[in-house]
Amino acid sequence: MRIVRIVKQRLRALLDHSRSNAELRSEMEMHIQQLTNEAVAAGMPPAEARALALREFGPVALIEEECRETRRVRWLQDLARDLLYAWRMLRLSPGFTAVAVVTLALGIGANSAVFSIVDAVLLRALPYPNPDQLVLLFQAPAKRPDALSTLSYRDFLECRSQNRVFSGMAGNAFHDLTLTGAGEPFLVNAAAVTPELFPLLNAQPLSGRTLLPEDGRPGAAAVAVLSESLWRSRFGSHPDIVGQSIALDMRSFTVVGILPAGFRYPDGAPRQEVWISVLQDPLFGPLTARPGVRLLGVIARLKPGVSLQQARAAMDTLDARLAGEFPAQDAGFAIRLAPYRDAVVSNVRSALWILLGAVVLVLLMGCANIANLLLSRATARAPEIAMRAALGASRARLVRQMLAESVLLGLLGGAAGVLLAAGAVRGFQPLLPPDVVRISPIHVGGPVLLFALLLSLAAALVFGFAPAFFATASNLHTNLKEGGARSGRRRSHHVRNFLAVAQVSLAMVLLVAGGLLIRSFALVTAANPGFDPRNIIEAEISLPQFAYAKPQQWAEFADELLDRLQAQPGLQDSALAAPLPMDRQGQAAFEFAIVGSPPLPPSQAAVADYTTVSPGYFRVMGIPLRRGRLFSRHDGPSNPNVAIVSETLALRYFPNQDPIGRQMRFGFPPNGNVPREIVGVVGDVRDVALAQKPGPMMYVPFAQAPLYGGEVVVRSSSGISTVAAAVRQAVHSIDKNLPVTDVASFPEMLGRSVSRERFRTFLLGSFSAIALLLAAVGIFGVISYSASQRSREIGIRVAVGARRRDILRLLLGQGAGLALLGLGIGMGFASLLTRLMAGLLYSISATDPLTFGGVALILFAVAIAAAYIPARRATRIDPIVALRHQ
Amino acid sequence: MPKPSDLLQGTLDLLILKTIANKPLHGWGIARRIQSLSGEALAVGQGSLYPALHRLENQGWITASWEDSDLGRHAKVYSLTPDGRKQLARELQTWNRLSSAVGLVIENA
Repeated sequence: MRIVRIVKQRLRALLDHSRSNAELRSEMEMHIQQLTNEAVAAGMPPAEARALALREFGPVALIEEECRETRRVRWLQDLARDLLYAWRMLRLSPGFTAVAVVTLALGIGANSAVFSIVDAVLLRALPYPNPDQLVLLFQAPAKRPDALSTLSYRDFLECRSQNRVFSGMAGNAFHDLTLTGAGEPFLVNAAAVTPELFPLLNAQPLSGRTLLPEDGRPGAAAVAVLSESLWRSRFGSHPDIVGQSIALDMRSFTVVGILPAGFRYPDGAPRQEVWISVLQDPLFGPLTARPGVRLLGVIARLKPGVSLQQARAAMDTLDARLAGEFPAQDAGFAIRLAPYRDAVVSNVRSALWILLGAVVLVLLMGCANIANLLLSRATARAPEIAMRAALGASRARLVRQMLAESVLLGLLGGAAGVLLAAGAVRGFQPLLPPDVVRISPIHVGGPVLLFALLLSLAAALVFGFAPAFFATASNLHTNLKEGGARSGRRRSHHVRNFLAVAQVSLAMVLLVAGGLLIRSFALVTAANPGFDPRNIIEAEISLPQFAYAKPQQWAEFADELLDRLQAQPGLQDSALAAPLPMDRQGQAAFEFAIVGSPPLPPSQAAVADYTTVSPGYFRVMGIPLRRGRLFSRHDGPSNPNVAIVSETLALRYFPNQDPIGRQMRFGFPPNGNVPREIVGVVGDVRDVALAQKPGPMMYVPFAQAPLYGGEVVVRSSSGISTVAAAVRQAVHSIDKNLPVTDVASFPEMLGRSVSRERFRTFLLGSFSAIALLLAAVGIFGVISYSASQRSREIGIRVAVGARRRDILRLLLGQGAGLALLGLGIGMGFASLLTRLMAGLLYSISATDPLTFGGVALILFAVAIAAAYIPARRATRIDPIVALRHQ
Repeated sequence: MPKPSDLLQGTLDLLILKTIANKPLHGWGIARRIQSLSGEALAVGQGSLYPALHRLENQGWITASWEDSDLGRHAKVYSLTPDGRKQLARELQTWNRLSSAVGLVIENA
């Protein structure tokens, strides 16, 4: 193999170059000897013969050099020598090296840490074959394309059988089921699916099998697939579980397989523990027969070669067919497609790119600082460089030599940065918002290391190029003569000023971005949620269908439970509601109609969040009554239906009217058309998220609209475990088989609802702090350098009568000028760039003047302070010393 | 003796490859052989011979070993590698095309 031969040859030249050179020499020598021999044979005296041979042969050293050049390893040898030399230079100035490496480590570490998140969340492929083919299907009213909903079982079947664009399609729905027969009864997260889900996502069972197409047919035997974690925790990892039967909501299922812990769909959803066919599901099974109930989330795989556009066009055709065939349910609805990946990560994408942009700016500022340091060093090293040039080093060679130093610095900084990043990634792991979907675990692995390496090299070029260029451009003669103190100073001075201005403007951009997020976060956390979360503890109770089948039983259970909770000592007040504000499962929103008002066109259908509550709910939560009355125990099933609305609903739909006494039609399906009389108006509540302005809400009494479970809220000054024990005791005194889950304190829940905002504010805030520090160091460096270069001028000024104040003003003026220029440019960039983050801001604009002004003031003050230290030192210059010095 | 003409650019590689195609030779021998085979018309200067040999070796077309030689001592002897043999065939083909084209131009012009 020729390539092997070439590599071997080069390696030999590199590793054993003294031997290669000796061989070359003896090869030449032999030729010369041969020429000499010939001349001697022709009768010439040996000494003359050798001289003739040498003349005939030509310049030996040059020929040898030309032979060596053909090895093509010169540049590598030079590089090795340059790096060795650079290492020695860096060791000679440990102070400079330490500052530069720490600066780089901060920049590269921050970049690598953020990139590790970007890599795990945005870049990594989803753990399925051909993940780009996966799309989610939704249905939405044609007039309100953002109001996505799931599909009814019938529409799912229609869609599956009547398209040519998908190679597979599967439906899924989630809820809790009570598992009995394996220790104490408890709730499991069940996924009611159609069997195609498993081949679609290429799910391989740990043992047994997944669901087969025949398991999804009507009348098939009831079978279930368990998760590995459920199998281990509840069934003791028993190998014979496959084939045995378990009971879900008192219905018997045969276990057919176990799925490994890694399988989870959709990514980011709570872990499922049991998979069953949706037709067998005790709750959803009967609902599949009702075409008006949209219960299935749907995922499909595009056929190879089919684009998203083609699939969308096919869905449009299907929409028309469905609307014609089933006008009652499907008229006015359209099927929407979204790439699965977008649906999974869309909530964090922009924030992550903005964070990555921010850390790149931090690194650029760090580079500017190091470039400044290198410029100062280059000035000090001018005689050395001049000497090398005088000895014949070309400019390219000198630039290469200096770049080698930068590259070495970059690599050292990169190595330290990777260590920092590894620590940081471990540190912020617990701070990560729980709803950020990680396609792979966040860690400093191969891609991050490669990123750090490339970043180190790029940074080295960025901060090393200008100093190398300017240092080697100096005039040989003046440098040797004057020790280099003057030459190239003017140009490098401009570079220095440019770098300082650039740093201030970058810092301005980062500080504005950080400031906006911090102000926005402060506004979010200070926002009044509309209720008083202090001392409130919640717990979830779910009634199994098999024991509590009738709504009347649900209402009776709730009454009984609340009575017993009130009797518990230590619990000040309790109530029941479903759902609570900030509920993990989201809020229930229903359309409503106002009796006696003309119906609204479908495009502007009136929708409000719906909550069913026990009478004490408003009291416990501290939600104020604005008009009318609250619910009482008399608002039961045998009395007229009533409702309470929020202020926003009253204002929006009853402008300048009294809503009390009016009637609205709404309810939990199938009671969507029940008329209810408005008896009260209560204060607004932020129910979806703290950062979201309150929308219209309607409340109904639990006794008139019971559910098979709900959230208990308890106001108590006791600790969470005391309250949890009291609630369990009360629940178990009614039914010892009922599980109580998700006990949490409300302030904690609220904190969790802003965890994403908190995380990005924390990160960007830290980056802005680093930026501020780097800008201060930059200004400090420029003014110190300027003061030291102008010490002669300052000495003269002092000698002719300038006062300290004048000197101070001179240098501070220079610093202020640089800072103001930087501020101006930075403000321009900031107002352009912060627009990108408008989506992350809450109730302030991306060009919030207060933030811009405040940040500019802080930055200016810090810049002046940074300039003040060297300026003050300059005022102490003794004119005699300064003048004599040069 | 007429002055040996300068070698046409690029033909030196071809001559070296061809010279050692049948029998491995050292640098001295290659120079001598080219000179004698060309009827003393071509003289290869050491200044171009050795860089060419080293380039061919570093490109993997020829390989070298230190062997006892007719010169009475260890000499660096060059021989073709299998890849070099293919390269020689390619260069010969190019040369033949070129020389017949030049011949055509000269005859018909």
